[in-house]
Amino acid sequence: MKISVDTQSCVSSGQCVLLAPETFDQNEDDGTVVLLAAEPPSGEEDAVRQAELTCPAAAIRLSGA
Amino acid sequence: MTTTEETPRLPFTRADALAIAPDYAALRRRAPVSRVLTPAGDPAWLVTSYEEAKEVFRDRRFGRSHPAPEQASRISYAALQDGPSGDFETEERDHKRMRRMLAPAFSAPRMRALGDHIAELTDRCLDDMEAAREANPGEAVDLTDFLAFPLPVLVICELLGVPYADREHFRGLSERIAVMDGGEDAQAAMAEFMAYMTKLADAKRADPQPDVISDMVAFQAEDPAFTDEDLARMGAGLLFAGHETTSTRIAMGTLFLLADTARRDRFAADPDGQVNQTVEEILRLTATSGTGLLRYAHEDVEIAGTRIMRGDAVLIAGDAANRDASVFADPDGFDPDRTPNVHLAFGTGAHVCIGANLARTELRTVFPKLFRRFPGLRLAVGIDEIPVRTNRVAGGVERVPVEW
Repeated sequence: MKISVDTQSCVSSGQCVLLAPETFDQNEDDGTVVLLAAEPPSGEEDAVRQAELTCPAAAIRLSGA
Repeated sequence: MTTTEETPRLPFTRADALAIAPDYAALRRRAPVSRVLTPAGDPAWLVTSYEEAKEVFRDRRFGRSHPAPEQASRISYAALQDGPSGDFETEERDHKRMRRMLAPAFSAPRMRALGDHIAELTDRCLDDMEAAREANPGEAVDLTDFLAFPLPVLVICELLGVPYADREHFRGLSERIAVMDGGEDAQAAMAEFMAYMTKLADAKRADPQPDVISDMVAFQAEDPAFTDEDLARMGAGLLFAGHETTSTRIAMGTLFLLADTARRDRFAADPDGQVNQTVEEILRLTATSGTGLLRYAHEDVEIAGTRIMRGDAVLIAGDAANRDASVFADPDGFDPDRTPNVHLAFGTGAHVCIGANLARTELRTVFPKLFRRFPGLRLAVGIDEIPVRTNRVAGGVERVPVEW
């Protein structure tokens, strides 16, 4: 599973970070998403799928899931 | 619109604290978007279906401001969500500025760091609740007084930098600004609330602290277009939203868990394993708004075949969307095993609740602690005896009497 994020459309809700803290982080300055890993660490796959579904800005894309 | 039927008027009546009004599903069966009258008696569109609610939340052609505010439909006579807010010309810029200013303070890493402290505060609330019961063993204890109100207030006070000692003052103001037929009194309370925040901002200007009001003051020094009034209104809004909504979720989440003994026992047997999913289901099911969230169309928009004209008021009934049977099987059933559970309790899109991570962190801390401390917690009255606050913008219940 490959993850990509669109920082332009991100609205800094940080919901992905609460769900999958090993995969996503938030920029200290404006709260936008920072991708920590291009693929989810093992054990975080379901959380990353949930993050894609719940992202308020639809800014998370998964491919090859 | 040609119809011989009377246009339904909000707020609708529900059977008890755990239910939503059947009117929503009845409207949704006919169309995802319906013509209604607001509590103030003005026309608006009510969105009751999940897909269309999500669509309106995400569509930037809807905003909180109005192209001609004096002509806008009024929602209620409260002092918030009552009508248009902000400047039509600059809304998007102003909103982005606000998010940029506040997002770091409410980020997930900050909320995680706050987790241990929230746990300590929860323990203290539960100690007080236990002491109250021991002092008066024959009497039920009101969970609202000991947990649902004080915990979110303690947390938001620390985060914003508001003295906890002032809680009864802003609790009273918070109640008054949100009364839907409050009128002059709601406006007077809002003016008082803003004066309170202005005074607090002055104190932070003189002596900055690591808190959100100090952040806003620092931000203002960089951007004078962010006026004292903007700052006061935003501060009041954050203080209101930061405690009122979470208080309601704690009170109503407890009601959901206590409404069925098997459900309570299942949660109490494995609180840490169950909590995340249980909190999401509580968020999905708790109905907290009598009107839904307000938007105005900034241009003509077609939603699900309905033409919405520039300037029309649109109310997004998240409570109804979260029980849309086309998305959630057995939509009124409490099922923590639902997966995925992509509810709209925090809205979605650019205006998504900035406190979502704070609320989740609090709720995920509170329920395991509550049921580990009192695994046999039960309601002292029937669900139908819990008074629902129907004339409040953020809904809620008057009290949650419990025993153990």
